[in-house]
Amino acid sequence: MLNLNLPTLASSIVKSGATTMATTTTQQCYVHPVVLFSVLDHYLRRNDNQERVIGTLLGVRSDDGRVIEIRSCFAVPHFETEDQVEVDMEHHRSMFALHKRASAREQIVGWYATGSKLSKYAALIQDFYSREAAPFSAVHLVMDTDLTDGQLSIKCLQGSPIGAGAHPENCMFLPLPYELQYPDAELTALQAAADSKESEEGYAVLISDMEQLEKSIEELKAMLERVTAYVQGVCKGSEKPNNVIGKYLMDMLAVVPKIDSKQFSTLFQTHLQDILMVAYLTNLTRAQLNIADQLQRIV
Amino acid sequence: MAGETKHAKPMTSLLSNEDNQLAAFDASTIPKQLLPVLDVEKSVAVKVVKVDPLALLKIVKHARESFPTSVNGQLLGLEINGVLEVTNAFAVPTQLGSEEDMTNYQIEMIQCLREVNVDSSSVGWYQSTRLGDFMQQPLLDVQASYQASPSTSSVVLIHDTSKSEQGGNLSLRAFRLSPTYLELAKKESFGTQDLADHGLTYGNILEELPVHVESSSLAKALVSELQWPQGVEQELLTEMQRPSSFNAKLRARRLADRSAVADDSETASDSLDSTLLPSRPTAYLGRPTSCLDLDQASGGSLNRQLEAISELIDEHVHDANQWMYWKRGEAKVKNSRNQFVQRRAQSNAAREARGEAPEPEVPEVELDRMFRPLPEPSRLDALLNTANLNLLTKGVTQSRGPALTKMFMAQGLHESD
Repeated sequence: MLNLNLPTLASSIVKSGATTMATTTTQQCYVHPVVLFSVLDHYLRRNDNQERVIGTLLGVRSDDGRVIEIRSCFAVPHFETEDQVEVDMEHHRSMFALHKRASAREQIVGWYATGSKLSKYAALIQDFYSREAAPFSAVHLVMDTDLTDGQLSIKCLQGSPIGAGAHPENCMFLPLPYELQYPDAELTALQAAADSKESEEGYAVLISDMEQLEKSIEELKAMLERVTAYVQGVCKGSEKPNNVIGKYLMDMLAVVPKIDSKQFSTLFQTHLQDILMVAYLTNLTRAQLNIADQLQRIV
Repeated sequence: MAGETKHAKPMTSLLSNEDNQLAAFDASTIPKQLLPVLDVEKSVAVKVVKVDPLALLKIVKHARESFPTSVNGQLLGLEINGVLEVTNAFAVPTQLGSEEDMTNYQIEMIQCLREVNVDSSSVGWYQSTRLGDFMQQPLLDVQASYQASPSTSSVVLIHDTSKSEQGGNLSLRAFRLSPTYLELAKKESFGTQDLADHGLTYGNILEELPVHVESSSLAKALVSELQWPQGVEQELLTEMQRPSSFNAKLRARRLADRSAVADDSETASDSLDSTLLPSRPTAYLGRPTSCLDLDQASGGSLNRQLEAISELIDEHVHDANQWMYWKRGEAKVKNSRNQFVQRRAQSNAAREARGEAPEPEVPEVELDRMFRPLPEPSRLDALLNTANLNLLTKGVTQSRGPALTKMFMAQGLHESD
């Protein structure tokens, strides 16, 4: 497939590049939150006097290799000194084999590292992972665990060969657009993690659906109040009007379905009856079970 | 479902070598605060399960990816002073052949993880469920084998994917088998009499433990980063104001509103592989969850739940009938035995009256042989069935509360229009 979005220079480099076997470059990257948490956990469990940790990223690619979804990762022990770097290849291989058995679809798509700047051996490691991820290029995910500027920034990079000679250490890391991906089930887990952040005891107790709903309704109410305050502010002239927000609000209001109130009340009544009926029947069943249980003890 | 999947095996036996090494330590050199860790006898029972977001996400991901098949895996962590900390988890393949493969897989995995300083002691296992009827014989058996060794405390975490997705609230519960059940399971006797004697009902087969979610400071930093990245609102506004950058606009809309799914999948799918596109685009954490649990439609799972309930009720009736049948058979045997004894007594009395020597008394053993009482069918199946039924109906009843609330909210919204 012809890759129009790439600058011509970059594509010509890729074509002539001998070290990377990549034929297409990645254009979009989706990251699953579990990867980020794994990286942090690995960083927390690093050995003494170890500055950064690295590991393998696993995921799936689209058929043409342009979209990557990073789904999981595992840690790989490595050893860095002033003049050399050692990566425990054997560990990497056996972990990959183990992962492969549990989730067959996931392939090696790249590697991660922590730290605020690139390791000086990044090019070498990138070269290794490019060979592992062949025929596609490898992705490099960097998490700034030093919290530079008080931010835990996450970067996705891809390697691009540079210079005339085909040396593995000649590599330029280009930023790759990435997006975090939150499936519904994970959102709930993350919400629990977020709650643990806010609670005073440092942990979150899982709450019931009803409490969760209450929280959501309150949030919704707060949002509505904020919007109302803004709109009234604009009407009075105390707030600077913003066309974009106005248009957005219009769109939102248009989405609200208009139902005839008679029709609505019939719908409401039937639905209400259904719900009550289900609740009644299930309660009845439970009462029956209880009676049966008690009777059996008497017998 | 649960019956077909392979279950994780307890790792306690595999780690026994380590225990020996521990025993070789001089106990006096151990710092005081570490003593609870080495509490081999486990004098303190587990009271709370603390789950790290990492383990949580791994479980959720595994369960979601293989939905609706029920899957399981191993939990790794540490137990200190009655608090069971689950810090990591890994999936166990469902298609592994023999048990040996399974054990090897887990040993290898744990060895590899130990190399990167992950907690290498097993604290239990997890299983995903679809409707909430997880009370199955295999589950109890596996958990029993986990709890068989007194030196380890292990729990089973049950994650309900469909409930988490639809309710917008994480459904994760931690269980241990109750001592009552373990005692009866050891004897393998689940007759009515045993159940009544020990007070085992459908409600107390498992003990539920409270689950806490606790994250490390770095993880907290990450969560806040995900919730409200710096300057997101400004970025949103500026990007929306630039009509030329179509991509940026699309992205901004994705960031701002989950409901944009419907139209952006049309525009984006022509250039990207649609199977790879995430079903839900990126959205920041703070907002979308509220939409998730305000969603009105939860009819699909309710239908399935009700179907499952009616099936279970049928089974329950079947079990009850079978029990009645046995009871009747038993009564018949008892009856004829009593009749025999009576007849014997009468004929003896008659003989005595006639002055003949009475026939010898038939010993109890002989009587038992002649009128063999029917063995009572195990009540365990019926008990589990009842337990499942209870779980399901409870789930449905509980889900009705939020449903009602949502309805009245919709009404309020409608009236205010």
